[in-house]
Amino acid sequence: MNRLGPDSPRPAALVLGVAAALAAGAAGAQTADAGAPAVDTSAWKCAQCPFFTGVAGDATLGGEYVHGANAKYGQYTGIDRSGGYVDADADAHWRNAEGSYADVEAQRLGLPARDASIDGGQEGRFDLRVRYDGQPDHLYDSALTPFQGGNGNLRLPPGWVPGASTAGMSTLGASLAPVDIETQRRTVSVLGQYQATPQWTLFSQFQRQEKDGTGLTSASFLTEAVQLPRYIDYVTDSIEAGAAWSGHAAGLRLTYTGSWFEDDSNALNFANPYTPLVAGSTDGRLGTPPSNQLQQLAATGNVLVPWRSTVVTYGLSLGSLRQNAAFLPVSTLPGAAAPAAGALDGNVLLSHYALGLSSRPWSRLSLRGNATYEGRDDRTTPIPVAYTVTDTYPGGTALAPRYGQNRLRLDGGADYALVRWARVGIGGEYIDLRYGSGQVPTHTAEARSWVRATVLPLPAMRITLKYGDALRKASGYDLAALPAGESALVRPYDAAPRDQRFTTLTGSWSPLPTLAWTLEAYLANDDYRSSPLGLQSVHERRTSTMLSWTPRDTLSAHLDAGYQSRYALQNGSNGSANDTWLLADTQRFWNLGAGGRWVPQERWTLALDYRYAPSFASNDSTVGGLAQAFPQNTTRLDTMDLNLSYRCSEAMLVRMRLAHESFSSSDWALDGVAPASVPDLLSLGLQTYRYNVNLVGVTLHYRFGKTAP
Amino acid sequence: MRRPLRSGAAMLLAGATLALAGAAPALAHVDPPAPAPPSTPVTAPPAPAAATTALPRVGTYSAAGADTCLGCHDAPALTAIFRTKHARPNDPRGPFGHGGLQCEACHGPGGRHAASGGTDMAGMVQFGHDAPASHRRQDAMCLGCHQTDVAQQWGSGPHAGAQVACTDCHSLHAIKDPVQARATQVEVCAGCHQAQRVDLLKPSHHPLREGKMACTACHAPHGSSAPAQLVKNTVTETCTGCHAEYRGPFLWEHQPVAEDCSNCHDAHGSVQPSLLKARAPFLCQQCHEGAGHPSVAATPAGLAGAGAAPSVYLVAGSCTNCHSQVHGSNHPSGRALMR
Repeated sequence: MNRLGPDSPRPAALVLGVAAALAAGAAGAQTADAGAPAVDTSAWKCAQCPFFTGVAGDATLGGEYVHGANAKYGQYTGIDRSGGYVDADADAHWRNAEGSYADVEAQRLGLPARDASIDGGQEGRFDLRVRYDGQPDHLYDSALTPFQGGNGNLRLPPGWVPGASTAGMSTLGASLAPVDIETQRRTVSVLGQYQATPQWTLFSQFQRQEKDGTGLTSASFLTEAVQLPRYIDYVTDSIEAGAAWSGHAAGLRLTYTGSWFEDDSNALNFANPYTPLVAGSTDGRLGTPPSNQLQQLAATGNVLVPWRSTVVTYGLSLGSLRQNAAFLPVSTLPGAAAPAAGALDGNVLLSHYALGLSSRPWSRLSLRGNATYEGRDDRTTPIPVAYTVTDTYPGGTALAPRYGQNRLRLDGGADYALVRWARVGIGGEYIDLRYGSGQVPTHTAEARSWVRATVLPLPAMRITLKYGDALRKASGYDLAALPAGESALVRPYDAAPRDQRFTTLTGSWSPLPTLAWTLEAYLANDDYRSSPLGLQSVHERRTSTMLSWTPRDTLSAHLDAGYQSRYALQNGSNGSANDTWLLADTQRFWNLGAGGRWVPQERWTLALDYRYAPSFASNDSTVGGLAQAFPQNTTRLDTMDLNLSYRCSEAMLVRMRLAHESFSSSDWALDGVAPASVPDLLSLGLQTYRYNVNLVGVTLHYRFGKTAP
Repeated sequence: MRRPLRSGAAMLLAGATLALAGAAPALAHVDPPAPAPPSTPVTAPPAPAAATTALPRVGTYSAAGADTCLGCHDAPALTAIFRTKHARPNDPRGPFGHGGLQCEACHGPGGRHAASGGTDMAGMVQFGHDAPASHRRQDAMCLGCHQTDVAQQWGSGPHAGAQVACTDCHSLHAIKDPVQARATQVEVCAGCHQAQRVDLLKPSHHPLREGKMACTACHAPHGSSAPAQLVKNTVTETCTGCHAEYRGPFLWEHQPVAEDCSNCHDAHGSVQPSLLKARAPFLCQQCHEGAGHPSVAATPAGLAGAGAAPSVYLVAGSCTNCHSQVHGSNHPSGRALMR
């Protein structure tokens, strides 16, 4: 039994009790403050203030020609094939002397990644915003599949010859057709805000997000697998509404959040391309994400205590996650029916309570602390299900386990200014995580502490060094909850005992007003010494530096570089304690960037940006004492962007753009894997990414209305 | 055992009571009190100075407010603030609303500064990393108005603990504050968070460098009670705000998914596909060592072109070739996340 849970009134009562007491005091203090003498501003007419009234804006229209683009290049922009694209942006602003205003902004109107917003309202009274946002996600344009159809039903072409393996599918080659793995996410949101009084604000936001297209999934009939293009049609509607109060000594925000996710299809049906392993197993059916809803009530706020800059913050949130989509039949085999329960009636209670404190008891000493409780209480009744194994044969009856946890987090820190140029700090965090029944780990506790020193040895130079240690202990494992066949020696790394040491170094220096340099370095070592099997250690290194030079307004340059590495060691067992294997996973990433901006003449501006970012990943295994290295997986990004602009007049500017970007990659999981390469996997034949893109563009910018004051 | 709904109703009632208790004095005031600066005394404008140029004392406000300041400080880079929310004359909450202290609301009393011809800065606040005023003094000017609205959680958060000043991120005099625009916010945050900026350059990344997302889609830099200053209470709630299809609850749950998305994913960027910390099968084998194929060591002999037939357990989707429902399944036969 968890000692703290959403049933326990203690956390909520504690949070509310403290908040109510302090808020009452703050309300009283505010009443007292209301009579303080004010500055006489009656003569402050602001006659010289260049408030904006009228209309002003910018419009951009032009075009770009792109050669060599593909899905990877245009993954998030939609510039995913060679050709011409419209480059169009616009923004316009209107305001009158009474404070009514309207702002319109639109970007990338010629691309699927377009977005636009309209804001309007009355200053100090109400604001309204309507926004549209398009977000493509083009993953692959190299996929090949024999499957036809959509809307959740994938059929094989007439005359398909099934085989015991992909080699036996004699019509596969002639049946393959390209399919784009691509989705488009469109979001429309409407936000309204009403200033009921200078202290009270009422707000509400409605958002609808639609995601459709073709995704990627897989399925199998026992060990005969097939990759599938998956029809996606999701809609997520969400509402956020509430009220916020802001006073001199306290603030409060009450929010209701509701989110409803709907999936247009409840299943993906697909034909079996293999020779059925059992009679009747000619079709498969995958479940798709069920419709669900989340509703939450939250209250957050703070109270300014009139003693030593002390602020108390509080927050509490109660939510419910529900799902009750009708079950599919247990299989596609003849006579199969849905479980008697009909639907899950899923119900998860989410709770979050927080109290925070910050204070400055002396001018040199600052303190802060937080106590947070998070609960996920899965109230769903476990359902026994007589399941079928991959639409092939009955598997038995199993009880679907439920997973919940409660997390208590305490953190705090103190900083002390020794002298004007040196400061030290200490801090710590304690996390107590208790898992609900039915999970193998039952309880973990982690204690983290750190020390930090900041020095300013020279004018405009600042160096901060931080060192810390974290120790996580796991107090128990419920081996009865272990899935059948799972090794009792493996320790999931998120709940395994761990010893972590970390160091952070940051620095900044401006030796000249025109020169600035920053540095960041991070080292962390995680050791999972108590884990007989599983992750053993992770070593992370990250460093980056940036130099910027701005000798004058018409010239600037920057240089940046970074390196990251992650080295992880894990072991496993080939079925017995005497037959273990070891794997080293190494990932390295570099980046180098340079650029600048130059205005050689009043009307001309030249901007150049270059970036180089390669990565390298390797997996080296040792099995039976024999070292075996996988081929390296590599990526390399090389990009250069040159912009030349000419200001024809105060209102008009012409910009020319030349860009080159190349990307290459190797991935042993994809290289050489054609649809029929693997006997028991009918794959989509996805290829590693590679492109060489050249872009040339010309745009015209026109500024209308009032210029900036 | 008390049911959450009843205690929830009690909490709502308590919260409403709390709100009314705090709101009552505010609602009683039709006109908002003029905001007084937090640490300087307020005085009436001085009598005209004697011919011997005696300066008004520190803490004296100017004679004409912004009209005094604009007499010298009229560069476009400064007056651009009049296109922003901080200079809305019809908004009583703002510095330029009725009764507001205009420029001196943020910069402090400027009477002595103006009377000295701009040479004396005593009592005034300049902003920036190299400004004479401490970051605490600078922040106090902003927090004087914003501590009980957007910066409610500021004091107990890590940015305050790291002595980050408001103007380290915000440029109030700019028409468009770069940190508030989606296309430019990343560069502001990356001024300190360089490692995360590097992460965005990795082959698998969220669309931040394409300008389609900003750091504040997930993080609340002014502070929050969630880990890593997330906008929602937990990592999972933040991620499923956009990826609601993984929210569940499912009939067959995958425990690390129900607990925390960052058990497997690195949201800032990864050299592995799908923002994974490591690739399958190795990532899966860090928790699964079951009898049979889950625990068998993967070797290069299972790759395409290695001589023998490529292994379905290794290439393409590896484990997910069969166990595709890795985030959870609502299919009655999804016990092994294969349906």
